[in-house]
Amino acid sequence: MIEVKNLTKHFGDKKAVDDISFTVNDNEVLGFLGPNGAGKSTTMNMLTGYIGATSGEIKIGGVDILQNPIEAKKKIGYLPEQPPLYPEMTVKEYLTFVAELKGIKDIKKEIKAAAEKVGLCDVMSRRIGNLSKGYKQRTGFGAALLGDPEVLILDEPTVGLDPKQIKDIRSLIRSLGKSHTVILSSHILPEINAVSDRILVINNGKIAAEDTPQNLSKTNSGDKVKRMIMKIDGEAEKIEEVLDSLDGVTYEKLEGEGEYELNIAGASSDTGKKIFFAFAKAELAILEQREEELSLEDIFLELTKEKGDNK
Amino acid sequence: MKAIFKRELRSYFLTLTGYVFFTMFLLLGGFLIYNMNITNGYTSVNNTIKNFINWETFILPILTMRMFAEDRKLKTDQLLLTSPVPVRSIVIAKFFAAFVMVFAALVVVFLCTASFRFFGRINWAEMISSYIGFLLLCGVVLAIGEFMSSLTDSMIVAAFSTYAVLIVTVFLGSRAGVVSGKASEILLWLSPTERFNDFAMGILDPAALVYYISIIVLFIAITIQTTERRRFS
Repeated sequence: MIEVKNLTKHFGDKKAVDDISFTVNDNEVLGFLGPNGAGKSTTMNMLTGYIGATSGEIKIGGVDILQNPIEAKKKIGYLPEQPPLYPEMTVKEYLTFVAELKGIKDIKKEIKAAAEKVGLCDVMSRRIGNLSKGYKQRTGFGAALLGDPEVLILDEPTVGLDPKQIKDIRSLIRSLGKSHTVILSSHILPEINAVSDRILVINNGKIAAEDTPQNLSKTNSGDKVKRMIMKIDGEAEKIEEVLDSLDGVTYEKLEGEGEYELNIAGASSDTGKKIFFAFAKAELAILEQREEELSLEDIFLELTKEKGDNK
Repeated sequence: MKAIFKRELRSYFLTLTGYVFFTMFLLLGGFLIYNMNITNGYTSVNNTIKNFINWETFILPILTMRMFAEDRKLKTDQLLLTSPVPVRSIVIAKFFAAFVMVFAALVVVFLCTASFRFFGRINWAEMISSYIGFLLLCGVVLAIGEFMSSLTDSMIVAAFSTYAVLIVTVFLGSRAGVVSGKASEILLWLSPTERFNDFAMGILDPAALVYYISIIVLFIAITIQTTERRRFS
């Protein structure tokens, strides 16, 4: 549905987006993940034709956004980071205006459908300037949904919402993802994790990783390295003696008394057992033993740190 | 295009802008008509309008300063530029919304002066051509103002840069006397206000009509260009 090839954008000397390529399939939810200033919004602005690319190609449903912007834009519903609202208009006036802009025929029906989806029915006659941040966000979202575009591009759609609203918007995005192609961005991991089929980690204008949320955690936890946190009752010397005797285990002392973080290379299913008996033999009591799985958060920090260090 | 035109026109009245513009325009018009026509018992409006031209310079940027500057500040330009609407339609729609405001205000002023008919004789050719010239000159000012607004995201900067351009052009003709020969001719040729003199005498000179319309089209065209270019900078 969306094809991006060698997309690059310079702002003066700064490379905001540096030669990125990706595709998004029909009815797929793609999450853009990256720290602030990574180039997420710039990429989205180029996808929607708001700004032009320095070089590269963007095709929306086979239509090039530069060569045939009007046709390409018809396929897109865009919710920018800051919803583009006119504060002096009422919600209904605004939605009507957007519907007219998009050249929608059955305006009343479309507005009603969009307002119901995002929960705007109660505030239709209120001035946008007087609405809360959450309602403003929803008004912008509603406007993006008008005309039922095939592609939805949502830049940080849940910013400024309360937890209940975040939950609503997420389930809305998930249900929209069944029949629409969605790209959403966020710097918040759980959000991306909750709704995306695939994640694109962007850092310094480049793609740092691209995979499903599950695969992403697998590949990076790599080489079967296990992390284990242990709390052991006893003298530090004795404990470290036991740890030193274990094969393929490196460790680090943590802040709490008798707490260690273990990195076990070549771990197998009975690694835990071995460790347990080693301590039992030395008559040291294991108070706590838990495996740490690499979360998306760790992967994210790792991926973005690496890139930063290279610079 | 129709949607943007309608929204622009409405927003003049949803905000204070439209009311401020009408109040100032009509107060000024009323004052000048009273001062120059009514107190002198004089039905010819060409001098009234010549005076008006010097003052409207300060009123019309009220309409134009917000055109693009406000959209950029509110980020609503993101909505307009990502909608399936070509940039030229956006620029033209905004221009015509402001133009309709001026036209409406001018109709009121025209009706006031047309009512002189009940008290004396009016040279209709002179009056109507004066108003046509004035309306076109306002169009020139609006097009320049729109261009200035498309260059910045601050309404104040947009307004003051428009004033700067207008002060230079409006008074270009009156400065022509300072220099002589060819230079003076060129200044007079360039000055939009000098072109008005034909209209004031009741002459609809095609050259002057073409001149005004060309300037309007020129500034609308460069506004379209700068808006397109900006996206690639």
